[in-house]
Amino acid sequence: MRLDIRYRSSFTYDGLVRESQNELRACPCTDEFQQLISYRVTTSPTAKVVSSTDYWGTRVDAFGTRAPHSSLEVLAEATVDTRDRPLPMGMSRPELLVEPAFVDRHAEYLERTPHADWGPEIVRLAAEQTAAAGGDVVGWVLALHRLVGATLRYERGVTSVGVPVDEVLAHGHGVCQDFAHLAVALCRSRGVPARYVSGYLFTRDETTLPPADAAEDPDDAVRVQTHAWFEAAIPGHGWFALDPTNQTAVGQRHVKIGHGRDYADVQPLRGVFSGGAGASVTPDVEIRRLPVVETAAVPPPGRLLLEQDRRDQQRQQQQQ
Amino acid sequence: MPTVAAGLFDDYDPETFFDEVFSGPGEVREHYTGLLDRLRRFSAEDLARRERRRDAAFRSQGITFTVYEEDEGIERTFPMDLLPRVITAAEWEVIESGLVQRVTALNRFLDDLYVGERAAVHDGVIPWWLVTSSDGFSREAFGIPVPLGARCLVAGIDLVRDAEGRFCVLEDNLRSPSGISYVVENRVAMTRLLPNVFTDAPVRPVDHYGRSLLGALSRVAPPAAGDTPTVVVLTPGVFNSAYFEHVFLAAHMGVELVEGRDLVVDDHVLYMRTTRGLKRVDVVYRRIDDSFLDPVTFRPDSTLGVPGLMAAARSGNVTICNAVGNGVADDKAVYAYVPQMIEYYLGERPILPNVDTYLLWEPEQLEFVLANLDRLVIKPVAEAGGYGITIGPKATEAELEACRADILADPRNWIAQEVVSLSRHPTLIDDHLEGRHIDLRPFVLTSDTVEVIPGGLTRVAMRKGSLVVNSSQGGGSKDTWVLAARPTGEAEGDTDAAAATPLLEVTGDVEVTS
Repeated sequence: MRLDIRYRSSFTYDGLVRESQNELRACPCTDEFQQLISYRVTTSPTAKVVSSTDYWGTRVDAFGTRAPHSSLEVLAEATVDTRDRPLPMGMSRPELLVEPAFVDRHAEYLERTPHADWGPEIVRLAAEQTAAAGGDVVGWVLALHRLVGATLRYERGVTSVGVPVDEVLAHGHGVCQDFAHLAVALCRSRGVPARYVSGYLFTRDETTLPPADAAEDPDDAVRVQTHAWFEAAIPGHGWFALDPTNQTAVGQRHVKIGHGRDYADVQPLRGVFSGGAGASVTPDVEIRRLPVVETAAVPPPGRLLLEQDRRDQQRQQQQQ
Repeated sequence: MPTVAAGLFDDYDPETFFDEVFSGPGEVREHYTGLLDRLRRFSAEDLARRERRRDAAFRSQGITFTVYEEDEGIERTFPMDLLPRVITAAEWEVIESGLVQRVTALNRFLDDLYVGERAAVHDGVIPWWLVTSSDGFSREAFGIPVPLGARCLVAGIDLVRDAEGRFCVLEDNLRSPSGISYVVENRVAMTRLLPNVFTDAPVRPVDHYGRSLLGALSRVAPPAAGDTPTVVVLTPGVFNSAYFEHVFLAAHMGVELVEGRDLVVDDHVLYMRTTRGLKRVDVVYRRIDDSFLDPVTFRPDSTLGVPGLMAAARSGNVTICNAVGNGVADDKAVYAYVPQMIEYYLGERPILPNVDTYLLWEPEQLEFVLANLDRLVIKPVAEAGGYGITIGPKATEAELEACRADILADPRNWIAQEVVSLSRHPTLIDDHLEGRHIDLRPFVLTSDTVEVIPGGLTRVAMRKGSLVVNSSQGGGSKDTWVLAARPTGEAEGDTDAAAATPLLEVTGDVEVTS
């Protein structure tokens, strides 16, 4: 599916701002199931944008301005091709989770982080679910994913990022970030490496997906927020992506920006300003489905590690 | 001349420790004989008078540090003992080559992690989880190259001498090692207070530190900076415990001392505000922590940093020294792997050994340590300044229980080491000499070459029997002499007190003895 995405964020300040410095993480990544076709960032007032790839493999666009301004707008325009992500086939034995090489490779996706910490209630729930799911890690992850859907009710605006997962669980409702963080915490509490994914979802409503039949999709642009889901590492299979908010596997309508230990590693926009008294931010995402003219240049499967890609690029540069 | 001072040494008992001056009761090591002969000419009263002058001079120059634990922080002078520590040319040769080797390997490791292929991880030299679980590992530093790979441009390596007199590495300080100002100021003070003791002693100079540091910083400037890059010292401000040193370093390099609010980033280029407008800055020698450097990338509440600094560094427009993320290499658990790093990166045997260290996530080692807590030293992996250390043999039962609970709560956060019976050095206590435990922190500068400043900071545990030498724990210091290998006449620099040029003037109310 070829999608055209316009991510726009506007800061409106109370008063004149002397300086503003920001980092944007809004660029769809290229991986086994997704290919970025084009990407462009513009700002108003105009600022020089410097791009780099961060530790997690996410593109970062840094920009700032010292021209006095009372509002700042950043626009990121992307075109991306997506494909379905296949479900893991076959079993994965839980004993493999504790193999030293597997643990070492996924160490940072097993730790507690500020947004994905867990208390006794999460430990208890996760243990209960996985025990019922039997001796298969894929089954564990699906059970935990369903648990999130059964436990949390989607309610816009009831939480802000920063509410601990345990509290979200106690309240029983949240937004997509909370669903993703709870899923991550549940997985990690059972020793299943899990990571938080930031991205976009092509739909009219974050919680409603159109029927699977793609021919009936609306062709006009839809407005959504950035979305969040999670990926769990299945021994012998790789990363398994699930969208707990919509209780679905991650498919062609999901556009991945990047992943990290939690929200803080892939926060779409962060920055500081000085001079004004306060600010309000309005993010706004518009996604439009495009007809695919030529065959999408999606790379062949079998290259899963972004780390490897990064190393290759570095090798090239070091030889210059 | 009064002869009272002869008793100064006669009553001294080296006990069973490795004593730097005495090889046995009354037996003075050869490299101390000249110094002791000259000191014998002073009476206890002479020395006491000089101690008073020393205290007045240090106080009036503000050569102080802040002790934080005593309620709200107290400014203290860093007491310098009047009896210098002497290191022979032969001993120094071993130390120097060992330090060059170690710091070279540490720089290679950091470059490998942050801009390299992580070869040491792939080849199994160090576990990846240990790297990622280190508080000092900075994902934000990923992909930012440092010219010449000089990530630890300034390193302070803490050495101790064990019961056999062998120098071992106790810990590495690769973020903002402090204390070099005391090294230089102690020498200035000694040449003024006791100029005669330097007679005929080929003591290698230390007063070139500012020039050496500025040279190293200039060599890691971005290529676009040209021949005379602009260097600044970035300080957290006057409330920092080492503020004196920040002032000192800027003065000795002849560069601006700035705070974050004096700097600004425009189009990914760093500038400092001056009375004549903005001036481009090429190299920042920062003495603030990584997490405060840039509120865009790190803690958004930091008021010490500069918004946009990291993007400027990433763009290659400014070099930050020491590099961001060095803390992963001076993590006390990663420390245990430094000997293997030396072998891996350099293909050499480590010249300076580590102290035996137990890693508490290994079940057998944990079990051993918990059974032997009362005879081991337990340290938190990421703290500096001697905070949080439990010394088993000196701890109460309650302290050991608390320590045990801490370890079990997070084994990765602690290491255990054998107690090193640190060497002792006679130290002037009131009117006589007593043995006090000492260590040595040499300073190592890396740019296109690796330079070790002769000597370093000898820290003294001033409390009788104490093994904790950290200045933040009430330690003192000694002027540290490295003797030149050459005969006196050909020795480099300020071996003669009269020729020494103090860089900070002693204020008028202090007598200068000649």
